[in-house]
Amino acid sequence: MKIVNKIYLSNGVHILLIVLIGIFALHNLNTILTKFRFIVIAEGLNTAFLEMRLAEKNYFLSGDDEALVSIKIRIDQTTETLRQVQQPIILAVGNDKYWKLRYYLDEYAQLVDAIDRAHIRDPGAQKELRQVGQNLKTFSEDITDLESEQIGAIIVHSKNILLYSFWAVVLFALIFSNVIVRNIGNSLSKVVGLTRSISQGNFHTIEAKPSGDEMGAVFSAVNTMAEELQKREKEIVQSKKLASIGVLVAGVAHELNNPLNNISMIAQTYAEVYDSLSREDRISFMERVDEETERLRVIINNLLDYAKPKEQHLSRMAANPVIQKTLALVQNMLDISNIKIKLGLARDLPDIYIDVHQIQQILVNMATNAIQAMDKGGVLSIDTRFVPEEDTVEIVISDNGKGIAPEFIDHIFDPFFTTKEESGTGLGLWVSYGIIKNHQGNIRVKSEVGVGTTFIISLPTCNKLGIA
Amino acid sequence: MAKHGIMVIDDEKIVGDMAKLSLEQDGYEVETFLNGESALERLKTKRFDVVVTDLKMKGVDGLEVLRTVKKLYPTTVVIMITAFANLDVAIEALRDDVHDFFPKPVKIKELKASIKRALGTAAK
Repeated sequence: MKIVNKIYLSNGVHILLIVLIGIFALHNLNTILTKFRFIVIAEGLNTAFLEMRLAEKNYFLSGDDEALVSIKIRIDQTTETLRQVQQPIILAVGNDKYWKLRYYLDEYAQLVDAIDRAHIRDPGAQKELRQVGQNLKTFSEDITDLESEQIGAIIVHSKNILLYSFWAVVLFALIFSNVIVRNIGNSLSKVVGLTRSISQGNFHTIEAKPSGDEMGAVFSAVNTMAEELQKREKEIVQSKKLASIGVLVAGVAHELNNPLNNISMIAQTYAEVYDSLSREDRISFMERVDEETERLRVIINNLLDYAKPKEQHLSRMAANPVIQKTLALVQNMLDISNIKIKLGLARDLPDIYIDVHQIQQILVNMATNAIQAMDKGGVLSIDTRFVPEEDTVEIVISDNGKGIAPEFIDHIFDPFFTTKEESGTGLGLWVSYGIIKNHQGNIRVKSEVGVGTTFIISLPTCNKLGIA
Repeated sequence: MAKHGIMVIDDEKIVGDMAKLSLEQDGYEVETFLNGESALERLKTKRFDVVVTDLKMKGVDGLEVLRTVKKLYPTTVVIMITAFANLDVAIEALRDDVHDFFPKPVKIKELKASIKRALGTAAK
């Protein structure tokens, strides 16, 4: 559901709750008002009934005939009143009680009529009338009391309901806004995580069910962006590869042209000076041709060896033991060059997922470079560290050698680029770069002429790669 | 008639050896060098009519040889050879008054013709 709709829904529920509370309160107020009106009427009736009872006494005890007339007038007035306010009374006390009251009043009226007609004052009649009058008065007072009690009860009930409703509305608002905020917060933190991982070069997409809300739209936009970026990066890598193939081909051409030229020149000279050559000279010429072809063969084999995509044998490894093993390989070289080694291996490093031989090849290569860059008595430092923000393990190889000139820095990973006087093929760092990239890692270099060079190899942890 | 002196510089030993053999056949006096430094050292004491040099060498490269030769002996002819067939470098070399430019593999006959032509020009 869209967030906007969720908010609309929440507002809708709130309004509904408030309307319901309002209707309830209005209804209760109406009930109270009805009952209150009845009580006002009933007070009048009760007074009338009391007066009838007093007149009744006057008739029987004082022999006042006028009293009976006054009772009859009161009965007529009361009956008229009851008839007039029939509707409000029925609303307040219900049909049954109304008609019962009327019935008691009629009974009383009939009795008063009978006494009036017979003009009797005997104790039997007196007792009967008193009884009926008492019934009427008691019943009227009872329902008045009952209604008073009910008003009280309704007020208390209303008060409670209003209080509960208030808390219900507050609670609903809190829960709902919490849910929405958490919803948006979760989605946002996913997006933040994703963009962060994109900026580190990992083009994962968010694997969330495509919800139809705004966050879903953001997700799919970010996912599209990640896919596009990945496509672009592939294109860039591809064009870089093409450029690097250009450099490679030029290098290959140079490497191959020299022995080819030698063979060609030998052949041309051989033909030219053939007649003046002794048998031994001729054999020597051919031997030199053979040497040059051998040289070509070695170059081509080396190239093939480097170019061949080697199958990776990846396994879960701790970085430090790999470095220790590699050091054993280069120890002899270090001893000869009188170079000290300084190790700073961090403890409790997370495991990395590597091809041990390939990583050792790189480390040997780096160590060799460092040794060649340093004079006797130099220091080769190898440090390892965990970088929690990127979830990577870094291997840092530093020398205090002559450093790399700034104009060469951008080219050191190019094939056939070498600053070594002889012996350098210019393939070592190029191959190292490829291997590290195949490990989803990264290799950086910092160098200052006369101070030294630092290579930083950064490899993702097993955890980052999702390897158990 | 005194023999023309030719200096050949290339870090590939065979280039010097073969050029020497072939050019001596044609009556030139040839000295070969395996790097720019030793060649420049020799140039301090001896003038050559023609200097044939490889372009790309460790240390002192062909362009530096060219400049030094032109400074010391403006009439000496410089011929450049290289395994690195890069047109940009060739243009730069030509601008620096190089007589001719040969990509490897070198045709010795063409090299000789170029030398002959150069000496003819120089003799005028």
